Amino acid sequence: MTELDHRVQGVDHVAFPTFDPAATVRFYRDVLGFPVVHSICAAGWGPENHPDFIHFFFDIGNGDRIAFFYYFGADPAIGGAPGEKGDVYARFGPDVPEFFVRSRHLAIHVDNEDDLLEYRRRLDASDWPVEMQIQHETIESIYTHDPNGYMFEITRAMRPVTPQEDLDATLTIDALLDVVAEPEPTFGKLLARKAELIVERAADWELAQEAGR
Amino acid sequence: MTTLYVLDVPENTPLAKVAAEDPAVAVGRIGPYFEISANGVIVIDRRATGCRHAVWYSAVGGVARDSRITQHDKNALRVEPA
Repeated sequence: MTELDHRVQGVDHVAFPTFDPAATVRFYRDVLGFPVVHSICAAGWGPENHPDFIHFFFDIGNGDRIAFFYYFGADPAIGGAPGEKGDVYARFGPDVPEFFVRSRHLAIHVDNEDDLLEYRRRLDASDWPVEMQIQHETIESIYTHDPNGYMFEITRAMRPVTPQEDLDATLTIDALLDVVAEPEPTFGKLLARKAELIVERAADWELAQEAGR
Repeated sequence: MTTLYVLDVPENTPLAKVAAEDPAVAVGRIGPYFEISANGVIVIDRRATGCRHAVWYSAVGGVARDSRITQHDKNALRVEPA
């Protein structure tokens, strides 16, 4: 439960390193059509041996941006040996499971199925075709990896989120915090704790919803 | 007693409907959740629900402490007295 007012306004930018700015510009600007909206050309400075760099930004809608750093002279192996699993920022050995390697990713929102399929067409006509199109619980997504190996997702909501899903999320998190505070958390323990919270709070929540209408 | 809770959202309603087809199973409500209960075992056939996998494997909202899930795979969800 939070009583704090919520003042933030979405993503200003999310930033990643690239060792291949040409392919990165092709992917984001020329294939996807994301405009270049900002760039910084900076001589290296500061306490470390910071390389000279170009910091460049693409618009991802709503004024939000994805940004890249290109460091002149930087060795692509600084993020791990090229050819190993993962992306240019983080490489993983062969034993690291795929679910973990794929867990960190950026998903960009579109309004509807037409828009999702338009981006699917653009990607499928490029060197980075869609690898998966999946209907999840309530969203549908397309996935590929960008030229840097970053997992890239575009997603649409299949229906609006309902108020009861906000309650459910609150109960999930409260149950999760209770379960991880104890030794050996399991999914079974979470479902048992969540059942207790449902019994305690779900009926009152519904009455409050009705009273608020 | 066996009790599980399922959030009432459009994707989950077939699950509650299929559960209710078993005369030994009662489907009630607590707030926005279906409360699915029985004296004995509750078995819900996934194919009968038509739920795709992403929905099926995330549909359970809670399981009472006197109950436990003994099967949750592509065929069925089975909840038994603990």
